[in-house]
Amino acid sequence: MHRFLNSLLIGTAMTAALAAGAAAADKITIGVATAQTGGLAPYDGPVVEGFRIAVDEINAAGGIGGKIMIETIDKDVRSDAAQTSIATQELVDADVNVLVLPCDADPAFAAASIADAAKIPAFSTCASSPTLPIMGGDYMFANFPGDNVQATVSAQWSHDQGHRSVYLLYSPDSQYTTLPLYFGDVFEKLGGTISGKATYKLEQQDFSAEVTKIKALKPQPDVIMTAAYEPNFPAFIKQLRAAGVTSQVIGSDGIDSPTTFSLGEVAEGVVFTTAGHATPGSELEKFNSLFKEKTGKDSETVFNAIGYDLVKVIAAAVEGAGSTDPTAIRDAIAGLENVQGATSLITYKGTQGMPVREVSLVRVKGGDRELVGQPAPNADLIPAPRMQ
Amino acid sequence: MLPRRFLTFSLLVPTLLVFATAALASTAGGGVERMMIVFFISLTAVAGMGLYSGNSGILSFGHLSFMGLAAYASAVLTLPLQMKKLTLPNLPAFLADAHFDFLPAMILAVLFAMAVALLTGLIISRLEGSAATIATLALLIIVHGVIIGARDITRGSQSFFGVPRETGIWVAATVCIIALVVTRLFRDSVPGLRLRASREDPIAAGASGIGIKRERLLAWVLSAGLVALAGVALGHFLGAFSPKKFYFVDTFALLAMLIVGGMTTMTGAVVGAVTITVVTEVLRRLEGGVQLLGIQLPEVFGLTQIGIGLIILLVMFKQREGLAGIDEWDERILPRLLKFNSNAGQINTSVLEPTRSAGTLKADSLTKRFSGLVAVDQVSVSLRPGEILGLIGPNGSGKTTLLNMISGVLPVSSGGVRLGEKIISGLPVHRFSGLGIARTFQNIRLFERLSVRQNVLAAALSNWPREPVSQAQARATAALDWMELTDKAQLKADTLSYGDQRRVEIARALALGPNYLFLDEPAAGMNREETDALMQILRRLRDELGLGILIVDHDLPLIVSLCDRVTVLNEGQLIAEGTPEEVQSDPAVITAYLGRKHREENVA
Repeated sequence: MHRFLNSLLIGTAMTAALAAGAAAADKITIGVATAQTGGLAPYDGPVVEGFRIAVDEINAAGGIGGKIMIETIDKDVRSDAAQTSIATQELVDADVNVLVLPCDADPAFAAASIADAAKIPAFSTCASSPTLPIMGGDYMFANFPGDNVQATVSAQWSHDQGHRSVYLLYSPDSQYTTLPLYFGDVFEKLGGTISGKATYKLEQQDFSAEVTKIKALKPQPDVIMTAAYEPNFPAFIKQLRAAGVTSQVIGSDGIDSPTTFSLGEVAEGVVFTTAGHATPGSELEKFNSLFKEKTGKDSETVFNAIGYDLVKVIAAAVEGAGSTDPTAIRDAIAGLENVQGATSLITYKGTQGMPVREVSLVRVKGGDRELVGQPAPNADLIPAPRMQ
Repeated sequence: MLPRRFLTFSLLVPTLLVFATAALASTAGGGVERMMIVFFISLTAVAGMGLYSGNSGILSFGHLSFMGLAAYASAVLTLPLQMKKLTLPNLPAFLADAHFDFLPAMILAVLFAMAVALLTGLIISRLEGSAATIATLALLIIVHGVIIGARDITRGSQSFFGVPRETGIWVAATVCIIALVVTRLFRDSVPGLRLRASREDPIAAGASGIGIKRERLLAWVLSAGLVALAGVALGHFLGAFSPKKFYFVDTFALLAMLIVGGMTTMTGAVVGAVTITVVTEVLRRLEGGVQLLGIQLPEVFGLTQIGIGLIILLVMFKQREGLAGIDEWDERILPRLLKFNSNAGQINTSVLEPTRSAGTLKADSLTKRFSGLVAVDQVSVSLRPGEILGLIGPNGSGKTTLLNMISGVLPVSSGGVRLGEKIISGLPVHRFSGLGIARTFQNIRLFERLSVRQNVLAAALSNWPREPVSQAQARATAALDWMELTDKAQLKADTLSYGDQRRVEIARALALGPNYLFLDEPAAGMNREETDALMQILRRLRDELGLGILIVDHDLPLIVSLCDRVTVLNEGQLIAEGTPEEVQSDPAVITAYLGRKHREENVA
């Protein structure tokens, strides 16, 4: 039941009732302060869809461990950091046990200090920057494969394929687009060499300078790694292939979108990492059919499953803690190992709040996706998060 | 310029209101307190934006750039050194080791934003209307790009985090009060009144001695400072932000408050911020789907945006000036409550001084070409103090064009204007009033939404050399007295009858203390009685103050009985000059002008 309880007319009374209910320990309240409108809605929207399916599923079965029902209080923060901070404070005032915060680092940071001060564990729906849980305090957790983990998986795979030289194309404009630098770290650790680096700007459409540099390399790099996404990636790959460069191109989850599969010949053979792949009999396939059954439509993005995973993680933590006390839940989250989610087994134990999850490697083939593998990352190879 | 008792009330009430609200919010704590902090910061920014946009009439999209610059500048200074080493390793040395407390960092950041505003304002203040608005939009985009590009200092598009959270409810309230007080004071300050006059009519403002660019620049820099204050407070409230926080989305959110409330007043800023905040708070509680009177409403996210959109539409349809209109709350309420003497500054009701010995005004062979068309062709006229010169001619004969050239409103194509020995053609228009030349306009150009007194005062305050405010006020009072407008002084100019509006224009010109007065059809729209009264006043101005008056009119009885000399133009050329009697009997004039208006000749 995700009923909106904090109504204008009866807000205070209901909030008090809610708090009393939570204290009775047969109920856990999750405060969901996410962006249902604005620039982050394309991510937070699907996450919350999957989130609700999991909540309904658990409540239908009698709650967590058959006894603790899940209540949620939903707030739209309109993709704004100030609104996130207000909404989070309101949820803290309403004595929620767990907080769910937006996908982007800005609003999550703005709310993290409030969660930390109130000692309530908080998850960002899908932020992938490993800095967030570190700088956000002990109570801040992420729910997505970290950039450094993704890069470790693809670098390891690349090395296994016999690639020994890599060209890195990255943009320092955002944390995410510097993912290739993590790739470079792992690749070098494995004995590969970096044959060059180039930067680009977000929104850049003309990659002729970068492509010319790559084309001039002798010998040509075995692999070109980038975390570019739309509109950079389609422009880059077209210009790269048009120039006759044939090196393997590796991308990241930013290009796991219908656009990539509709690029045709130029994108053929591109390999990228993503959060999950629905192989027959897999948990993700099961989730996808559950999603179809509940909503009547196909799940078009892995973010649905990511939202489902988040509830599974919270439920496992509550069960592990044997309590709905926020601090007990926080400690339980930090000790979670191999929680079965829709996309992967999820582990927080031994991390600084960034979960270890399986990463799927997918190849573009004939305009469709082909699973290359779902290797578990080698923990020793994962580079430390970069602050800048 | 306002009476002290009035000012005390108009500033004290909002100050106490903000503090009282802050105290309530701080008692309530939690989400309410946070909401009020955000509200105060938004109001600070809105008031700051209003200071420029409201008084200048130029909508600005660019103010968020100052908010962003100040947020980053202050955050770089207050960021703990350890955090700085960790997250900004490539910081220039002078910043890497700099650490300031919140207050000095705030002051430095505001000064920095104002310095940037000064540089950008030099360009933007030269542009008019929509060109200026588009330039502010460009500024927003450029500064956004620069902040992203200055990666070593700003972390590019990434989150700038770790900023100490110094902004609590009292900091936000204080910042807000500063913004409200500065905005309110500016509106009725000398530069504020000048800027509002130029908003109403830039051409008349220029002719009244107002240097519009300077006034705009001052307001731009000042408002940037206030918005910067909001930026510093916001940065230290959130603790983490990135360039997108200071871009289009927030620009429009704040502009919505400004437009809904009314951008010309401090009251409007408050009303707008309150309205939008209340509506947002109500709607966002409804969006989650509530149980209302036993009915479960569905969940509709996005309701807040729809609501704000509808309010803007409604305001645009029903009340273009915004909910608060164009007057401050104190201007509506206090005069009734406190019974102020409406003619404050009437301490020494000095009459206007007689004309100081001024040289003859001579226009030599003035020519004006409008791409091929010669509107005025080598016309020479002269005007001495103490005489009334009539300028007549059929429609389109170039009378107004000639007047515009002599008064500096239009540049000359060739020829020159001299005052005594000094060549004055080519000087900027707002310098002419300082030379003792004042004028009225054919199609009345009043500062419509200002009071009659403010119309006249704006000119009196812009005289050159600058004088003490009390002296300017006295002259404004005297000018109103001369034109018999004292009892209408508090009315808005656009509520007056046509004849009264003409007299306000003359009073405004007189307030400049001119030696020469140019009147372009001053009697148009007046009835015979009003015209006679006007003629009486003009004669006294000549006889008692020794003014040289150049008058253009179609009313021949007026010209004939009033003027010492008459100059006749036809098709841009001077065809006759002399006493009214001489001109009337000039055959060239009869053919060209009076011939076609024979009936009028008979009347004369």
